[in-house]
Amino acid sequence: MSGQVPLREVERELKQRMQELQGESGSAFHRARMSNLIVFCDSLQRSIELNDDVPAISSVHPARTILLVGEPGVERPLSARVTVRPLPRQQSATGACVEMVTLHAGGSAVERLPFAVRSLLIGDLPVNLLWASSVPPPLAGVLMHELAEPAQQIIYDSIGWPDLVRGVAATAAWLERIERKGIRWRVASDLNWRRLKYWRRLLAQTLDAMQVSHPDGKVCEVAIEHGPHASIQAWLLASWLASWLGATPRGGRVTPGVEMTWQFDGPRGEMQVRIRRREEGAPTLHRVRLGCDPQPLVVSREGPQRLSVQNEDGDTAPRTVTVPALSAADLIGRQLSDREGDERFVAAMRGAQAMARAVVGG
Amino acid sequence: MLSDPMPARGLLPQSCQLVIFGAPGDLAWRKLLPAVYNLNVDGVLPSHFAVTGFGLPAEGSVSGDPDEHLRNRARTGIQKFSRQPLDEGHWQDFSRALFYVPGSFNDAQAYTQLKAKLDAVDQQFGIPAARVYYLAVPPSLVGMCVAHLRDAGMITSPTERVGFSRVIVEKPIGRDLTSAQEVIRTVAQAFDESQTYRIDHYLGKETVQNLLVLRFANSIFEPLWNNRFIDHVQITVAEEEGLVQYDDQGGINGSRVGYYEGVGALRDMVQNHILQVLCLVAMEPPYSLAPDLVRDAKSGVLTCLRPMTPDNIERHVVRAQYIEGDMHGRRVPGFRKEVRDFFLSANRPLPQASVNSTTETFVAMKLFIDNWRWSGVPFYIRTGKRLPRRASEVAIQFKDVPSVLFNVNPDVPLEPTVLSLRVQPEEGMAMRIASKLPGPKVRIYPVQMEFNYATGLGGVPPEAYERLLLDVMAGDATLFLRKDAVELAWQFVMPILDHWGNSRQRDLPEYQCGTWGPVEANRIIEPDGRYWRTL
Repeated sequence: MSGQVPLREVERELKQRMQELQGESGSAFHRARMSNLIVFCDSLQRSIELNDDVPAISSVHPARTILLVGEPGVERPLSARVTVRPLPRQQSATGACVEMVTLHAGGSAVERLPFAVRSLLIGDLPVNLLWASSVPPPLAGVLMHELAEPAQQIIYDSIGWPDLVRGVAATAAWLERIERKGIRWRVASDLNWRRLKYWRRLLAQTLDAMQVSHPDGKVCEVAIEHGPHASIQAWLLASWLASWLGATPRGGRVTPGVEMTWQFDGPRGEMQVRIRRREEGAPTLHRVRLGCDPQPLVVSREGPQRLSVQNEDGDTAPRTVTVPALSAADLIGRQLSDREGDERFVAAMRGAQAMARAVVGG
Repeated sequence: MLSDPMPARGLLPQSCQLVIFGAPGDLAWRKLLPAVYNLNVDGVLPSHFAVTGFGLPAEGSVSGDPDEHLRNRARTGIQKFSRQPLDEGHWQDFSRALFYVPGSFNDAQAYTQLKAKLDAVDQQFGIPAARVYYLAVPPSLVGMCVAHLRDAGMITSPTERVGFSRVIVEKPIGRDLTSAQEVIRTVAQAFDESQTYRIDHYLGKETVQNLLVLRFANSIFEPLWNNRFIDHVQITVAEEEGLVQYDDQGGINGSRVGYYEGVGALRDMVQNHILQVLCLVAMEPPYSLAPDLVRDAKSGVLTCLRPMTPDNIERHVVRAQYIEGDMHGRRVPGFRKEVRDFFLSANRPLPQASVNSTTETFVAMKLFIDNWRWSGVPFYIRTGKRLPRRASEVAIQFKDVPSVLFNVNPDVPLEPTVLSLRVQPEEGMAMRIASKLPGPKVRIYPVQMEFNYATGLGGVPPEAYERLLLDVMAGDATLFLRKDAVELAWQFVMPILDHWGNSRQRDLPEYQCGTWGPVEANRIIEPDGRYWRTL
């Protein structure tokens, strides 16, 4: 159920909608809300996709969702809509519903969104900002800064960033500034980092095992292949791997849309990293080849829900891990509850920034 | 059911006439007449009861039947502001007992007419000369009204066996300690302290009354209610409204500038509402609920407030003014512009003191109660206009758990346990506690246990004025301010007012409309490793 309402009537309208829902079903409902989720997007099309995702996000992490649609360009006054949806019964035996407020503005009215949000947050509940724009957060200016101010977690998705080098360099520097420690802490999380979870886990376990079996072994070369739009994933994985191995970039080169290469200096000598884009395939990582001494290894995708690792010459049986099928909504829902930040991510972004500098310098 | 606003201690409202001075005014229209109507609908008014209004409307005179004039005004007020919709059956019954005497507060003849009318209504309704005088008038007129009532022989002695006279005095009681003492003295020339009810409508709110119940009727809270377990307390009174209400075309359709300019948030909110709520949070348990014992306990808190020195004021008190910003998607002007607009629209010259007004629309402060229970526990209070939402609450933040087991990461400390008591809107309370998220990993997440009066007890709680009017009719002064409490509260804020008065500060810190106050407010709390709550 949805309808346009004056901004100051939003709370009353939400309550009214909930009562109507109760009346329709004949059973008692309670509001399920673990946090405030502010979602910002800058196009109507993206907002429609997100609107469809909200029930699934709420199934994982019920939140008061404030969906902000701030379209640059055409002037459009700020308007508000409210939606109250029941959670699927399997999520709540007693009947629970989640609430969403959609604020839509265009042109100069976009600046008003942070003001409107302040009046809609539920006190005492954590605040998360999902930055669902293709503009990297640090390049989005004052709007992003104001929306982020009350948030304990800022979630963004680096997939699809148009200018990768600039986006990575700016975001790494921004992370150093935006994250706060102590009493009023704040973290930033990239959904792409979460997508890499099982790749990282498998690679880490493989390298650990190699360390045990070949204490003097080393990685001389890393070759990552990815599908369209997933070069940022490859970049993140490479920077994580480099920081894992203690290597620092010396120089690099980018051939846009085709290949990126870096030379690293590590404790065990030089290492080359090459990231290559496949013309076709899913927008994700496909294959990582570790040019290890003594035995090259290949980690690859075996269908949508399985990763495998094996020696390149195939003389051993592959070891595999299951990768749960996670939709975008699942990823967001899980990230909302995962608020403590990840030092390895911060280290990987620091490495990614160094890689960006190496490219610019080289 | 929530709709029973009878005084808690079982005293019954006595038959009487409620005489509203300033009946044509805003308070009567918005609050008092709808409150009496609701009491009528709920069937808790005494059987022998009537309301008589007194005063002159803004237009100076009344044409036609005065009683009908007030009835019409009451009807629109009820339609617009009553918590229960106007029901024609109840309205017929209610309006029969509404009367009006138009007259000037300074006209002795008008008091003669009023007395005659009250006597006639007494006769008509069988009321035994029992009167509750509600002085809904500016403070400057209180002395005049009281003197005329006394001179007209309309006040009975508290020792009279038949009937009674009680007076309700609205805030503000004075604008500083001296003038407050003057108001108290003036009223005391006609009414005994036992007949005087100084009203602070905040004390009639269910959540505020529930503070005592929460503390003293539950065994788990009182043992924790001290400096061993409580880290700090925050009291917030946030208002959305500014001083001027604009219509959609930008024209002025209401203003409180005339009252507020030169008064400010400290006098308007802190000196009365917030300090009274603070008293209920911090008071020692009285050994009974007898009005004077409760009021003794409250005064005990005010006595223990650490006096504000100039140095404390500089470090622990922040005042500010709102500037242009955004409220609910609309651009709204700053306070100084509102002041100018008000005088312009009223065709009045802008007073010199208002040219660059230094009236504060926001105050935040840290204060301490120097007694055994609260030693070292800071109380952070803040109030302001044009904040993002209307919300008043008392938040008790408990101390952190030790940094072992689940609180080992200093970078991401556990959110502390907080008990928050919402005074408005949606009266109720919530407790934030830490809980484990389902799953194989131990991940801690804050969850809220919530109680809401409207949904938890099946109805909207009565308006504060309803409860307080009934208390006066019942002769229960527990929720009203005794004169010593008024004086003690003024004694606490006077050093701040004096310090500000002596300061040469021409421009106050600013905050945009629609934000939670100036950044300067953070310097009161953040150096202590704490932060203002988001409401």
